[in-house]
Order: sequence, then C-alpha cells, then structure tokens
Amino acid sequence: MRTGRSLQKKEGKGEALNQPPAAALRPGAPSDLELMEGIQREDSEALSHLYDRYNGILKALVLRVIHNEAEADDLLQEIFMEIWNQAKNFSAQRGKPLGWMVTLARRRAIDGLRKKQAYARAEERLQHETEQQPDAWVHNSTEEEILDGDRRILIRRVIGILPPAQQQAIELAFFRGMSQREIAAKTNTPLGTVKTRLELGLKKIYDGLKELRNEL
Amino acid sequence: MSFEEFQNRARLFVVGALDPDEMAEFEGARREFGEKAEAFIAECYSLSEAFALSLKPAKASDQIKTRLMEMVKNRQAH
Repeated sequence: MRTGRSLQKKEGKGEALNQPPAAALRPGAPSDLELMEGIQREDSEALSHLYDRYNGILKALVLRVIHNEAEADDLLQEIFMEIWNQAKNFSAQRGKPLGWMVTLARRRAIDGLRKKQAYARAEERLQHETEQQPDAWVHNSTEEEILDGDRRILIRRVIGILPPAQQQAIELAFFRGMSQREIAAKTNTPLGTVKTRLELGLKKIYDGLKELRNEL
Repeated sequence: MSFEEFQNRARLFVVGALDPDEMAEFEGARREFGEKAEAFIAECYSLSEAFALSLKPAKASDQIKTRLMEMVKNRQAH
C-alpha cells in the first residue's frame, strides 16, 4: 500500500519521466541524442552503448507483442540493426530517440507477429494471461518497489487511473496493433465507444505524464 | 478539423490506432497546422515511450549483442 511518506520520498528523488534510465544518468554518460548522432556518424561504439541502455525495455516491448522469448531475441537484433541502418532518418525535431526507437520496435514486432502467422497462438497465450491477470497493467506495487524510485511504478500509476475498458482499448491498439474497427469487433463494442475510450484514455495518460513531469 | 480534434487524432496516430480512412484526414490537418502540429506530435511520442517504460525490462540473450556488433562490423567493412 502506498503511503504519503513513501510518495514524498519518491518525489524527493527528482526522477523525471523525460530523463533516460538510471544507467544513463551517470556523470559523463552520453545522452540518448549524442548516441544517436554517433550512430548517424556510423560509430559502432554508440550503438553498443544504446543497446546496453535500451535492450531490456525494447525486448520487453517486443515480448509483450509476440509472447515468444526466442522470436523476441531475434527481433531485438533486427530492431537494433534497423536503428543502425535508419539512424539517418532520425530527427531530434520530431521527437526524442526513445520515442523513435519504441515506434520502430513496436512496428517491427507487430509486423513480425503477422508475418509469422503467430497471431492465433499469441491470442491463446494472451487470453490465458488475461484470465490469470485480468489487467496486465494493474500492478500492486510493494513498498520496496516504490522506495526504489522506479519510474515504471509512476507510469503504471498514471495508466492505472484509467477505467479498465479504456486500458484494454489502449492495450489492444498499442501492443496488439489493432485498428479501432478491429478493437470494436474483438470486444463486441460499438466503434464510437471504442473511439471515445481511446481518445479519453490517451488524453488522460498524456495529461498525467505531463503533470508528473511538472511535479518532479 | 479543429486543433483540439487534431490533438486527439495525434495521440491515436502515435499509438498506431488511427483507421486508414482517418489517416488521410489527419495528414491533411497535419499539413494545415504545420509546425504547431509537428511539435504536438513530437510531444505525443511521450505516450509510446511511457507504454514501453511501463513494462518490466526483459533480459536479452547474451549472444544477441555479439551477433549485432558482428553484423555492424561486417557492414562497415563492405
């Protein structure tokens, strides 16, 4: 259970959502942008650093989409190769490196899922997981985790505020690559309701993340 | 399309939830709003970052990095 005291401690750490993960916060560590610029100059050392920093996050994302450990590893390798090959298309004016990498990884994972025709198998696995854990995003944080200052907990807290139907719509769109029509068909919900759920849910998360950045 | 409506669509766009028929309209509005639209879309990527960061990091096989760096080395050699 969260307490005001633990929350104060957490906020006191000054962790910001728009900062890179802890590993990158070491003094003198290159920023994500510097690493991307390095990759644009074909500096393989920069790719090596970027891999160390983000392989865990990107693997988790891919795994969430395809639900297969070996395929996730193969895709992860392809994703970082694509980061290397496509780095020249990255522009800092269009967003941060992590957003670009997540977009690329998500697209590859969803493409991979479709190509390998594993959709049905993943459906079954997801269904099984969903039955065991009705809302994958809802996470009962332990006191220890909160005190750890894990940014993940803060983000989950923002997402967790949403009604389950909005979370489900976003989950299906982002992690399953479903269009609004597909979500409507899958959940047997009118298309207009799906649109409203997605719009309201995403706006709440967007505003929540903004608020979090302002608070910290 | 009002800018508020564009903002709603932009959030859907970054999470890949725009239906194909909405995409053309969105792209039109994107051109119309110009830099203001691009700045907002860039901000919206915080959503996809957040969804990825909400997951517990997964450990990749140790061989992946070795293979990746070998591929890069080969690419540079040619």
